[in-house]
Amino acid sequence: MVPVAFLVSVAVFSLIHLTPVDPAELILGEERTPEAVVALRHELGLDRPLPEQYVTWISHALRGDLGRSIRTNQPVTQAILERLPATLELGTAALAWSVLLAIPLGTIAALRRGSPVDVLATGFTILGVSVPNFFIGILLILVLSVNLRLFPPGGFTPLTDSIPDNLHRLILPAITLGTVTTAINTRFTRSSMLEVLRQDYIRTARAKGASWRQVIVGHALKNALIPVVTVVGIQVGAILEGALVTETIFSWPGIGKLAIDSIFGRDYPIIQGFVLAIALSYMLTNLAVDLAYAWLNPRISYA
Amino acid sequence: MKRPAFALILGVFVVSAACSTGSGPTSAAATPKAGGTLKVALESELRTLDPLKSSQRVERQVYYNMYDSLVTIDTSLKIKPGLATSWTYTDPTTLQFVLRQGVKFHDGTDFNADAVKFNIDRILNAASSPRKSELASVKSVEVKDASTVIFHLKKQDAALLAQLVDRAGMILSPAAIQKAGADLGLNPIGAGTGPFVFVEWKRDDHLTLKKNPNYWVPGRPYLDEVIYRPITDSNAALAALRTGDIDVAGTNAIADKDIASIKSDSSLVYKDIPGLSFEGFEVNGGSGVFADKAKRQAVALALDRAQILKNVFFDLHTLSRGPIPPTSWAIDSSENLYTAVDINKAKSMATGFSFALKTPNTPGSIQEATLIKDQLSKAGITANIQTEEFGQILTEASAHKFDAALVGWSGRIDPDGNMYGWFHTGGGFNDGQYSNPQVDSLLEQARVASDQAARKPLYDQAQKILVEDVAYIFIGHGPAQEIASAKVHNFPLIADSIDRFAEVWKG
Repeated sequence: MVPVAFLVSVAVFSLIHLTPVDPAELILGEERTPEAVVALRHELGLDRPLPEQYVTWISHALRGDLGRSIRTNQPVTQAILERLPATLELGTAALAWSVLLAIPLGTIAALRRGSPVDVLATGFTILGVSVPNFFIGILLILVLSVNLRLFPPGGFTPLTDSIPDNLHRLILPAITLGTVTTAINTRFTRSSMLEVLRQDYIRTARAKGASWRQVIVGHALKNALIPVVTVVGIQVGAILEGALVTETIFSWPGIGKLAIDSIFGRDYPIIQGFVLAIALSYMLTNLAVDLAYAWLNPRISYA
Repeated sequence: MKRPAFALILGVFVVSAACSTGSGPTSAAATPKAGGTLKVALESELRTLDPLKSSQRVERQVYYNMYDSLVTIDTSLKIKPGLATSWTYTDPTTLQFVLRQGVKFHDGTDFNADAVKFNIDRILNAASSPRKSELASVKSVEVKDASTVIFHLKKQDAALLAQLVDRAGMILSPAAIQKAGADLGLNPIGAGTGPFVFVEWKRDDHLTLKKNPNYWVPGRPYLDEVIYRPITDSNAALAALRTGDIDVAGTNAIADKDIASIKSDSSLVYKDIPGLSFEGFEVNGGSGVFADKAKRQAVALALDRAQILKNVFFDLHTLSRGPIPPTSWAIDSSENLYTAVDINKAKSMATGFSFALKTPNTPGSIQEATLIKDQLSKAGITANIQTEEFGQILTEASAHKFDAALVGWSGRIDPDGNMYGWFHTGGGFNDGQYSNPQVDSLLEQARVASDQAARKPLYDQAQKILVEDVAYIFIGHGPAQEIASAKVHNFPLIADSIDRFAEVWKG
């Protein structure tokens, strides 16, 4: 895990410094007098050689100090941690509705192949993967917030302030963020289920007189879910990417917005910290996916 | 199966569009009501709450409601007393302020001459602060007594008072500054004297101010609380305004294309006046294709500014005659040199050349650049659009590595702020390397001239020359806007486009 994180940090550091933008100019914006730019570059340590900047950063990072944002002077760890709960909540909700809807929908579509339910499900998956989520978000705001006044058009209330208000504000962004993954998961569940239903052991189970319910839930679904779990694992990354857009549309104060602002503002310490956090979350997700395999199919073991 | 769903959505949209037409805003003059929370959308998140480090226009929206300046302005941009009740030049380089007495900072400490000196010294010692150049004429500050402070100047500076209206003149509690240390920009607890007190800032979510019960203006403010929310997506800001999730959208928070729908909504109010900014594009007169004045003039003559204002800015911006906006006392309204398009004259000046037009990668800027390209092609001039991230354009423009770049200016109260840094030889914002000894001399004279009457002809002359020279391609001046729910009353619309809420109440 540590070598991966290290390589990622070197790669990001090098790439972001290749872009021809000076953070000091960006911070001072239209008020960038040449004297102020030089002074600010010095103050932020940006006038030192790149390798030296990197070594300073990594040596602090190893001691748990990710530094302070060069734009806002906020400690990086604080900046990420104060926004992480909002993104985690949104991501979890999006993934949850995507899994809870996709698995039954995909299963039913596979069982009733060619039926109107199947056509509907397949149609939804095509639409879901084709329509970009910013469009879905804007459409939901227009119809459900502005016209029908059913949901607030954006903003965030912490769970600790009001649970109903928090959930009320969560629904539209979660639908927006989860639509693409729901569509993909439905397709995967459907095709994986169709594949499994053709297997000999399903026919054997049926021949032995097991009920459809037993066969589907006990034999087919568990095996069909293995590829789906892999995909869901990968989707954690997709959800974080999607959060960049969704959080902007719904003014959701998560790390997606922080990442966008930091990238455009060339806030190197925040970008580095953000990438480390993402790399860490990928690694933890991979671990969780591996453990889920073993639970779904006991023949897979990690002795 | 998909069609009915789409038809339903479309139907809802059409019905709602049909329902939303109505008469314009009505504003009844009624008795002000105390209390309530005002929710305000900002075009973007702030970077810092420390005026010393501030470099964004949007930050001033919040500052003006929690900090007070030594002096302030009225709607006609005239300087009025603020934390200073009066001021006099005892000689041309000595400016004495008498300070308001009995004012306390939000942390309970006294506002006095020591606090003023502390704040000004802080600016003078901060090399990286944009404020330092604003107070370049100040040599030192002397405390005469608790309520009198003297500014000793290096040279006369007629624009100094106007600088002190804004962030350079905001006085924060020295105790609060010292207590907050490096976190002042994030958590300025108790630092202001203004109508509202800082409560909390959850970045990317909200910033809360509450009423200052001890504000030095009796009976103000009316509101109990102001909550700011950064809503960067204009569609989202518009939806939030429509649904009552916000009460006010700050200038620039709603895209120009959506203003028409606000004007036609009876539950909302839209008003505007010309702001202080100028927009158009910088031309690099120091090197490259635009070192030739005739080519700059050909571009200025071939541009159809009215068409750009109509198609890109939906007729909300005002045609620009030069760097001075129409709201300013220094406007030379007789200036008409490039206000109308003249293709033949443009061709006679120069034709058949091309240049790179650096364009920020936002839809509005790209649309503007495309229209410019199209207009110039009629005069045989080729504008090659180069879209880049705005930060990259700023970096390249400062290094003078460009032909032309769509970079504007948010504008300042005093004409000096819209001219000196931009068009004086070696000025801090003079990316285009414009240099004309006559303009330099006029701008310097205007800085030391005693009053407006003496300064006006100097600015008129300077404007004439730099417009004729095409030091910059002026297109328009952006508006200062009131975009609010009809429940919001007493909104002071001032050309600097900053929303001051001390007098605002909700009905």
